[in-house]
Formats: sequence, C-alpha cells, structure tokens
Amino acid sequence: MVRRNTFGALLALVFTLTLVLSACSSKSNEGGAAESSSPAAASSGAASTAASSSDANDASKADFSEPVKLKLLFYTGQSKRMAELASNELKDLVKKEINAEIEYVYLPWSEYGGGKTDLMLSSGEEFAAYTDINYLSKSVSKGLYADLTPYVDTYAPDLKSNVAAASFDAFKQNGKQYAIPVGNRASSAAFYSVMVRQDLLEEVGMTTIGSLADLEQYYDKVHAKYPDMIGFASTDATYMLMYEYTDQNLNWINNFIAVNEAAQDDKLISWYETPEFKKYAGLMNGWYKKGIIPKYAVTNQPQLMSDWNAGKAMFFPGTATRPIEGIAGITKAVPTAKLQNYFLSKNDRPKISRGTYNTAYFVSANAKHPERYVAFFNLLQKNQELYDLFTYGIKDKDYTIDENGRVTKLTSDLFLDDWMMMNDKFMRFEKSVPDDFIEQYKHWDDDAILSKTAGFNFDNTAVKNEESKLNGVFTEFIAPIASGFVDYDTYFPKALDKLKAAGLDKYIAEYQKQFSAWYANKPKS
Amino acid sequence: MAIRENRTLLIFFYVFIGVFAAICLIPFILAVSGSLSSEAKIAANGYSFLPQGLTLDTYKFMFGSKSDEIIRGYLNSASITVLGTVSAVLVTSAYAYVITAKGFRFRGAFAFFAYFTMLFSGGTLPWYILTTKYYHLNDTLAGLFVPYLLNVFLMYLQANYFKSIPHEVVESAQIDGAGHYLIFFRIMLPLGRVGLVTISLFYALQFWNDFFLPLMLVTDEKLFTIQYMMYYMMANIQFLASGNASRISGALIAPPLETAKLAMTCLTVLPIAILYPFLQRYFVRGIVVGSVKG
Repeated sequence: MVRRNTFGALLALVFTLTLVLSACSSKSNEGGAAESSSPAAASSGAASTAASSSDANDASKADFSEPVKLKLLFYTGQSKRMAELASNELKDLVKKEINAEIEYVYLPWSEYGGGKTDLMLSSGEEFAAYTDINYLSKSVSKGLYADLTPYVDTYAPDLKSNVAAASFDAFKQNGKQYAIPVGNRASSAAFYSVMVRQDLLEEVGMTTIGSLADLEQYYDKVHAKYPDMIGFASTDATYMLMYEYTDQNLNWINNFIAVNEAAQDDKLISWYETPEFKKYAGLMNGWYKKGIIPKYAVTNQPQLMSDWNAGKAMFFPGTATRPIEGIAGITKAVPTAKLQNYFLSKNDRPKISRGTYNTAYFVSANAKHPERYVAFFNLLQKNQELYDLFTYGIKDKDYTIDENGRVTKLTSDLFLDDWMMMNDKFMRFEKSVPDDFIEQYKHWDDDAILSKTAGFNFDNTAVKNEESKLNGVFTEFIAPIASGFVDYDTYFPKALDKLKAAGLDKYIAEYQKQFSAWYANKPKS
Repeated sequence: MAIRENRTLLIFFYVFIGVFAAICLIPFILAVSGSLSSEAKIAANGYSFLPQGLTLDTYKFMFGSKSDEIIRGYLNSASITVLGTVSAVLVTSAYAYVITAKGFRFRGAFAFFAYFTMLFSGGTLPWYILTTKYYHLNDTLAGLFVPYLLNVFLMYLQANYFKSIPHEVVESAQIDGAGHYLIFFRIMLPLGRVGLVTISLFYALQFWNDFFLPLMLVTDEKLFTIQYMMYYMMANIQFLASGNASRISGALIAPPLETAKLAMTCLTVLPIAILYPFLQRYFVRGIVVGSVKG
C-alpha cells in the first residue's frame, strides 16, 4: 500500500513535469511562429526582415489606414495634468495624425534597463520605451528589439531632419537602427566642465574660473566663510580635470579605455596604465586629503547628491544643460543660488561630442506595428507646436509665452520629461534663466568635434567574462584610487595586478581589434 | 538560590531586550520626527530625534497634492488585505484539510506537490508569463492577491493544527453521516481556530506589506496600493541619487523632498503600528501551539 502510494506520487510528479515542460516548449514554438508569420514584426529572421523592407519599398508613403493601439512605457510617474491631456487633447491629436490610440504606462525608475522592463521584453509584450546604448546592445543580442531601419524615412521624416544624424548612428548596430533618438541638444563636453555655484563665487569676490588654481582658491575662500560646506559633490572628476593633467584631448569609451581625439589614429589607450591616470589620482587624493571631497564620500555617495541639492556643495561636473536642469532642486534650499559652467585650462582644445547623449526609444520585437511607433516618435519632434504640447501642455492653460519667447509654467505637473524632449530648435527657456546662459548655450557646440568613436558599438561576446571580472576589480580596487580615497603609489601596483589577472590585456586587444576594423571602414569626413 | 539566579538572568534579559528594542525604534523615531520637521532645517542640519521647527506642512503638502491618491492607496491596500486574507485562509485551510484527511489516498502526493514548490520555483520570467499571458491577472484587483493565495509554510502550519484535533471527533461525525464538506466547515474550522487566527495575521501582514505584485502586474494608477506608492517614490529617489540618471541623458533631476519621503513612510506604517499591539499575542501564541502539538 505504502509502496503504491510512493509510486503514485512519483508518477504524478513525472506527469506534472512533462506537462510543465511541454507547456514551455509549446509556448516558445508559438512565439517563434508568431514572429515569423507577421512580416511587420521585422524580427531577427532574415526572411521577415526582407519581407518588411520590401513592404516599406512598396509603400514609400506612410500608411495609416488601419487603426492601431500602441503602448508607451515611461519611468517616473504620470502627473494629473498629463493624464487629463492624454485622455483628451493628445488622444484626438494622435488619432488624427497617425490613426492610433496610445496607452501610457508608467513604472518606477528601478525597473529601467532591467527588472520589469526585461520581463516585459522577454515575455514578448508589445511596447516601446526608452533605452541607452548599454541596454540596447544587451537586448539586441537577445533579439528583443525590433529593427526600425525600414521605417525611419517613411514614418519619421520630420524627426530625421530635426535630430542630428550622429544621434541616429549611435543607436545603430550592424547598420540597423534599433532605437530612434528623440531630442537634440547641445551635448558636447558632457562632464568636461565644472558647474560652479556662481552666487558663492561672487560672494567671495571672484568672478570667473579658468584653471585648477582658481577652483581651489574658490574652495579655500568659500570654505573659510562656510566651513560646513563640502567642495566637490561627486567622486569622479576624470573629465573636468583632463584639461589640467594632460595636453591631449582625451575621451573615454568606458572605465578602462580612452582615446586621444587630437590624434588622427585608431589607437586605444589603456587608461589606468597611463601616467595621466597617475597624475589624476594624485590630484584627487589631494582633494580628498584637503577635504574638497568630503570624508563621508567613501561610504555614502548618495549623500553627495543630497548635499548638492541642499545647496551645501560648491561645485559639480557640468553639462551644457545642467545649470538649468539642476537649479530647481537647489533654489528650494537656497533661493539665491545661481549655476555657471566653466572649463579649467581648456585653451583651444575643441569640445568632444559623442552624439549619444540623447534618449532613444526602442520598440519591442513582437510589436505588430513598429512603423506606427516610429510615426509617434515623429510627432514628438515634428514642429514647435507639437513640441510645446508634449512638453508644456496647453497654451495659456498650462503655460504662457512672453514676447521674448520665454515660457512660464502655470502648473507644476510634468508632461513628457523635458530633459528627454530637449531640442535646440524648439526648446524654450524660463524667465529665470539669465540671457548670458542662453547665449553660452546657443554657442556651446560651436567648437565641438564629433568623437572618432561615435557610432562604434562593441560586441562583447568574446570577452564577456573578462568584462564582468574587470568591472568587479574596478569597483573594489580602482574606484577608491580614482576617487582619491587611497594613495596611488601604495595601492595601484596591486590593483594593476588584479586588472591584469582579470584579463585587461585580452579585453583591450579585443576592443582594439574591433575598433580598428570599424575605423578602417568608416567613411572619412 | 535557584530563584535568585533566575532573577538575575531575568533582569539581564529584560535589559538586553529593552536595549535591542530601543535600537529598533530609533529609525522609526527619526522618520516620525523628520516628517514633522521643516524641509529647510532638515536640509541644513540633517536628521534629529526631536522635530526641528515643528510643522505639519509636509503632511498638508502630501494631502493637498496627493490626497486622492493616498486615500485610494489606503482603500486598495485595505480591500486587498481583507479579500486576500479571507480567500487565502480558505484556500490554505482547505488544502491543509485535504493533506491531513485520513483515508484520502493521494494526500502524500498532494503534500509533496506543495512541498516541492518550497524547494524549487520556476523563476520570475515563467511566473510573469503565466500570470499575464495565461491567467490575465495584470491590471486587475485579483492580480494583487490571487498569486499569494497558498503559502506552503502557512499551509503546513495549519495542517499541524488539524492533525492535533483528535481523529475520533471526525470519525464520530462520519458515523453520524457527515461528509467532508460538513466536517471541514463545522468541525475542523471551529476547532482549528487558533491556527486560523495565526495564519490570517501572517497573510494580512503579507498582503498589507506587499509591493511586488503591484510592481509586476499593475500599471493602472487606480490599483496602486499604499506600499507600492511608497516603493515607487523610493525607487525613483534611489535611481536619481545613484547617478544612473546621467547614463540616459546626462540629465540632472531634482529628487522629491526629504521630509516627504519620511511622511510617506509614516503613512504606510501607521495602520500596522496601530493594530499590531492588539494582535501580536496571537502571533506568539499561534506559533507556539502549532509547534508543540505538531
């Protein structure tokens, strides 16, 4: 009796397992069938790609005849006004323009580039969301993004003319467009400038900063007056100090690899092995010892950002737009705060633009109408009128524009994130933004060069293990040196051993191989 | 002598537990005092045990701008807790009855199936596909409690209570012609009351504190629970503070106010903090009884 019971249990177990397994496999078959049967899905399969591109050729005019439903995924939350707009004015507009109905879905930021976004992609849901290049290459290698190449010209002509071509290139892989950049703004020299609290600078009798010596003088003077304030509210000054520790014009591909943009070659530099890194680590160590970087930064990095936002820090790495993006946070604590970008001894070195600091949207591989998503992205950057609607809401209800084109928001509710939409052609400044900032901003990219690495995407399959090991070593051994928490001479030799043991040489060799091959075939401008 | 020794030990235990409890209480005090402080003072001086510049502004702000959401969040949390607990207790005790019912041939197999899921799980992705593609639980109220209806650990706990009920009671009922339905509702449930209270409390706490199900299955704001609103806010702050935001666009986004975070924390904890002292004796008693008789 007992034996039979056990046997019965085992039999039932096996039966259940078979059921589960067969359910799984039939599921994946289904997925495969669905993908290849719908030509518009443009999946990785060669046949379907061919079919969809021929579709696009046949219909060189956009076809909006069939009403469709689209799902757009955003992070942060939806404001009340956005919800109202989405179910009234926006709804009508989207219906009229591209014959589609849009569902706006919101998730917390923790789900960006992983978490639920991953689950939604892997389970084959149909949606579009924003992406960065890291997440793009990860997902494309799993075949989770739709190839949007065939639709850009037909369905997003306005977007294409309003967004720089280099931004499009950045989101290509193997020549295919896997994400559509939305927004176009001055993005060169990101983090190469020092964003300074101009109000403090003037308070201590200085007007401008042009070198490291100026910056430290600024710190000393403010520190004497406000001993509680911290100096640098970040732990990474690699970019902004570059102008001080080298005559080259360095740019970084990732933590480990740099290129000299001043040299016309395809040579990659193993950054941590350079004498420049040693100099940089020395500078940071000096800052740390002096207290410019606070002692608590070792253990509590988020606190740096809180202190910056509370107006308790003196400077921060800058980008072209940060002085206006960041000011709202600080003026809550210090109403008189002003922010200004300065370059340390930059002299006549051109700014480096990577053309990648724009947000881009991907469409999931299973989408039945990827072209309609592309058409929607087109609306976001089509013209001033639509840009205003998506970014600021309804004129005279949510915002007003004065005779100088300055915008005043009448609601604190946000619509589509303005940092995402920012396009130099359309963007408006608030009244509080000083004229000289706008002047500086307009000419920000004037002396910029496009990085020679722009458009190159590394395929990490061959060195995946090395990469993750190196990242581990970076966090554990390199970051403390680079942030100046520990002394270079004492700790670097061991850290270098660890890097070598993790496969630094192999990693860089693989990178160099791919980059050289890509560089040789790159059309020279 | 022995009594005196016990006494010293007892005093030591009380002091030790007292200190430990005080340590556990500190973060909570900081949250309450922070939520009652003014934002400017917190930004300038950091946290403190006593509110700085005592003010209700934060709560006024929260209820002013978000009162609808907060009230809806509370209602959702409450209804999920009630619905979830009632149905979970029903399902769990029914399963527990099945695997303890003498004379049911496959009870060993059923017990094993449940046990198996404690050891192995399919992982998040299959779970997600199952709940959204097959059961269509996404964006439904049911989705917020149905996946948690059977907690195997609590099921075994309840099974132990049922086992402690003398079989003769069931036997005599059977002789009088009672079926399983009658035995379950009229005999087992009333006699297993202590167990039911215990597992109800565990379930209630689990449903109240859960933010995983809303995160995975809900995007409709109308179904947000208070815990999920809290998680949502914290996750955004975490992300913005970690500097990952610059990975996307180099953007600098101002995180919400410090005091607002703390006020939100207090709001989520409040109902449990009020109810817990009245209910906690059941927790302790329930577990002890189950363990001895099991």
